Amino acid sequence: MVNDRGQLYTMEGVAAGLIMLLTVYIVISTTSIYTPGDTHIPDMQLEQLGSDVLAMMDTPDADGSESQLTTLVKGGAPDGDTLKDRFLDYCKMRAGSDDANLRAQAYLSYRTASGSVNTTPLSSADAEFTGRENTVRVTRWVQLDGSLLGMPGDMRTDPQAVLVEVLLWRA
Amino acid sequence: MACMNEDGQWIVLMGLLVAVGLFFLALIINQSALVGQTTAEGVLEFPKNDIRDLREAVFDYTDTFGSVDNGTTGAVRQDIAMISLERKNAVVNFSVESQVEVSDHYLYPITIHYYNGVTEYDENVYY
Repeated sequence: MVNDRGQLYTMEGVAAGLIMLLTVYIVISTTSIYTPGDTHIPDMQLEQLGSDVLAMMDTPDADGSESQLTTLVKGGAPDGDTLKDRFLDYCKMRAGSDDANLRAQAYLSYRTASGSVNTTPLSSADAEFTGRENTVRVTRWVQLDGSLLGMPGDMRTDPQAVLVEVLLWRA
Repeated sequence: MACMNEDGQWIVLMGLLVAVGLFFLALIINQSALVGQTTAEGVLEFPKNDIRDLREAVFDYTDTFGSVDNGTTGAVRQDIAMISLERKNAVVNFSVESQVEVSDHYLYPITIHYYNGVTEYDENVYY
């Protein structure tokens, strides 16, 4: 039978429930849970940064002139390190402390006369590159006429489109 | 229910309600982890930069060659298609028609097709 005994218990129960809810809320809101999804967010930012820098380097200074990226790619493997260094400099250009942990590696993909696609390093290898880094890849198409310095002999010499690929990672 | 003390049944009921509430909170936290992951993966996998890059390459091609169709331009088109397939896992095709007059400007009608198995992108543009 329902009577009015134990009303104090009821109130105590409600109060206890509220305190428990409040405790859980405070605990959850003070600790940020690092979800698996969060690991992708720095990757997204890095990819956007690298892509923007490549787009900027591919923009000519004046109408009709050659972009910095095209000039450096035309220099072939000797200029590959310059390309990598400029790319990293632009990536690190920001207010505040210098971002010294960014690393990059540039590759060039081209189609040979025999029809296969070759990929060759444009910049010399980073000394600390282990192959296990969490890298993002950004790419840019470049139109060329003639083969490049220091490139393998199977590169065509007629006008062609090649793909510059830059691996970007945080050491 | 003879001789049983019925005091405090509300406490039991409230306890049950709080337990159910906690269960739902846990469920929401669990889902939020999943939502974060799928969102970030969705953004990473959508080939926004690849498509922009391809458009730029096609416009560069049009700047250089126009709608000329010969061995040289065919080779460049094949470069873009084959390197896309090999390095970006994307089927790419484009064509440039001869110029037409659009509002007093002579523009090339360009058709671009891009498909990487997940995202399909088709564009007809006057450049």
